[in-house]
Amino acid sequence: MTFSSSYFLSLTTFIYLGAAILYLTYWVFRLGKVGLLATVVTTAGFIVQTTGIILRWIESYKLGYGHAPLSNLYESLVFFSWVTILVYLIVEWRVRRRVIGAFVTPFASFAMAYASFSPRVEDSIEPLIPALKSNWLIIHVVTCFLGYASFAVACGLGIMFLVKDRSKGDPDGILGALPTCRVLDDLMHQTMIFGFLWLTLGIITGSVWANDAWGTYWSWDPKETWSLITWFIYAAALHARFVRGWTGRRIAYLSILGFVSVIFTYFGVNFLLSGLHSYASP
Amino acid sequence: MKASSSSHRSNPIWRFFSSIHLAVFLLITLAITSIIGTVIPQGESPQFYLEHYRYNFFLILKTLHLNDTYHSWWYMTLLGLFSINLIVCTLRRLPFTLKLYKRDSLSLAPDRLLKMPFKKSWKIERCLDNISIERIISGFKESVGKVREAPDVDGGRLFLAEKGKWSYWGIYALHSSVLVIFVGALVGLFLGFKGSVMLSEGKTIDSIVDRETGVSIPLGFSVRCNHFYISFYDNGAPKEYRSDLTILNGKKEVLHKSIVVNNPLRYRGITFYQASYQAIPEASLRIVSPDGRQTSLDIPAFQTVLWPEARLTFGLMRYEPGNIHGRPAVQVWVENQSGQARAFWLLAGEERELNEGRNSYRVSLVDVNEHYLTGLEVKKDPGVWIVWLGFAILVFGFGVVFWVPHQRIWLWIGHKDGKSLIILSGQSNKNRLRFEKNIKKVEEVLDSSIGVQR
Ligand code: HEM
Repeated sequence: MTFSSSYFLSLTTFIYLGAAILYLTYWVFRLGKVGLLATVVTTAGFIVQTTGIILRWIESYKLGYGHAPLSNLYESLVFFSWVTILVYLIVEWRVRRRVIGAFVTPFASFAMAYASFSPRVEDSIEPLIPALKSNWLIIHVVTCFLGYASFAVACGLGIMFLVKDRSKGDPDGILGALPTCRVLDDLMHQTMIFGFLWLTLGIITGSVWANDAWGTYWSWDPKETWSLITWFIYAAALHARFVRGWTGRRIAYLSILGFVSVIFTYFGVNFLLSGLHSYASP
Repeated sequence: MKASSSSHRSNPIWRFFSSIHLAVFLLITLAITSIIGTVIPQGESPQFYLEHYRYNFFLILKTLHLNDTYHSWWYMTLLGLFSINLIVCTLRRLPFTLKLYKRDSLSLAPDRLLKMPFKKSWKIERCLDNISIERIISGFKESVGKVREAPDVDGGRLFLAEKGKWSYWGIYALHSSVLVIFVGALVGLFLGFKGSVMLSEGKTIDSIVDRETGVSIPLGFSVRCNHFYISFYDNGAPKEYRSDLTILNGKKEVLHKSIVVNNPLRYRGITFYQASYQAIPEASLRIVSPDGRQTSLDIPAFQTVLWPEARLTFGLMRYEPGNIHGRPAVQVWVENQSGQARAFWLLAGEERELNEGRNSYRVSLVDVNEHYLTGLEVKKDPGVWIVWLGFAILVFGFGVVFWVPHQRIWLWIGHKDGKSLIILSGQSNKNRLRFEKNIKKVEEVLDSSIGVQR
């Protein structure tokens, strides 16, 4: 079994690392061809990863467990990086700015590297525990992760904004290659709205599922609460636009803070706190 | 109307609550304070907190109800302020939205049309005849759909195709959905209950114990657990817990269902969830009397069983599933009529003497059966439908706010400075790129129908 899912998924890790380096090179040296290459490599990585995920799904059926590959920390990290790349490729295709890749692909490659190499992450295919056996699992995880991935992109844009904002009047340096603050601000806002919508849907599907499985749509367990905290932060960031005197800078900070909260919702809760969702803990 | 809104505006309390500053502040405050309940374990006993925290902190914890953060007075106050903020903010915006909504777009003069984000005009030297004008108009109507007309605006005819005006109300749906969800949560909090019950196979209950108050709540019907099953994967991980339940109305069986973790039983607004289980041993003993007669006796844990022949009462004290020589063993307790008790161990397959008065009985352990108690969560939440309604409105409002644009396309046909003038203009409050593509198509249609005249 050379061409097992783990082969494809390990390969993905290296492809994404390569893509991140290419995007950085493109940004720093402003080489158009390298930028194109970065997009091609990222797309290839995405296809390899998709194959890996589908194979893993099939393998779980062969093992007799038969469940979507969204059931433990390893699988969710792989899926997170997959959705992040997907959202990024859509953004790149729509706004045609490859520089953004230099700030987003590192998130995806880091997630893959962590999933593949960290001893804390178990990558074997396990049977589903009774609590996860539900059709809601897929819809809940997919909606949440579309949100998380958009927030990763928005965080990248927020960092770009802060970097760019410092560079006033330096059109030739590497910072000159970044889109203008106005463009970044607008993109960041739209990405956050998109993510906010999916996070909202994720929380809603989670509640409906929890009501089915545990008897309450909301039980304030740490993971739920942290997703609500994340939701509050992005709601604040979306409203901050309407507040006079709140410039793009503060919204960029909120976008980064929001993503920190996403990461905490995702890892911190599993490793540091306990609750109903801690199935993903090592 | 005007007077009241201006007196509102000068009222400092109203101003405070209608500010979006407050909204951002409250959202961030809620985000920060919500962390507390994820760090401090919730719902534990006072002893727990005394053991784990310093006394001074315990006092703070007690005052601020940090053992139940999300139902504490201050968290509720924050949510209350948040709701008031939302309501007042909405009320304040209402007149503006109403004005926007009622605004008549069919009376805009040509110079206003030329200030729209998209505009295009055609000047034609001679006067257009009626036939060509009708051709232009029908071309316009065909490419934009439903059209309204004002026969005389600044000496010309004005046509308007307008779509999605109602989308101004989307933000109201979105914001009010948050309040609907709050109402649903409060209804559940005050009119619902949550409890749990351990039910052994074959047993029936007709009331449960409220988890918070400890009060017994009658169900109005009864529930019987017929069976509990547990299955495992090959690697030993649990695969499924299943309880076979029957609902009884008096003696009549009205509903029968197997519940598993993600599939509860609902009856009359009360829901039963599979939550946990407990295995209870039942020892089967064989007793041989002095005359050689054999008796079988089943002794479940937590119960005493009287054997009438010798007037002995049996009970199960301890159970070892297989630790002793790989065989199950039980510790049995026996009491006679005069209240003398003794206890002894029985290992499966081995006999032992039991002397009672002049008689000597031989007792042996035949087998130990595991008998299950199923742990059910029992819940009633009449507010849950209100919450679902809130969710639906939230999603709907979101869709409207971000994806339903208010679009207007105007066509004005008239004269300026002795020439025929045709103006096409348009405006959309979102998704401008798509709108521009669409209106470009209208422009092409007009180009061709006007071009014919040149
Ligand atoms: C958690 C609750 C809330 C949610 C989910 C929410 C959601 C939203 C969203 C998504 C927008 C549109 C943003 C945009 O167009 O980019 C918005 C706008 C707005 N919200 Fe909220 N909001 C909430 C609470 C509040 C509160 C408490 C207030 C009261 C002060 C408020 C006042 C406003 C105002 C004034 C706008 C501007 C709308 C416009 O100009 O079109 N929101 N809100």
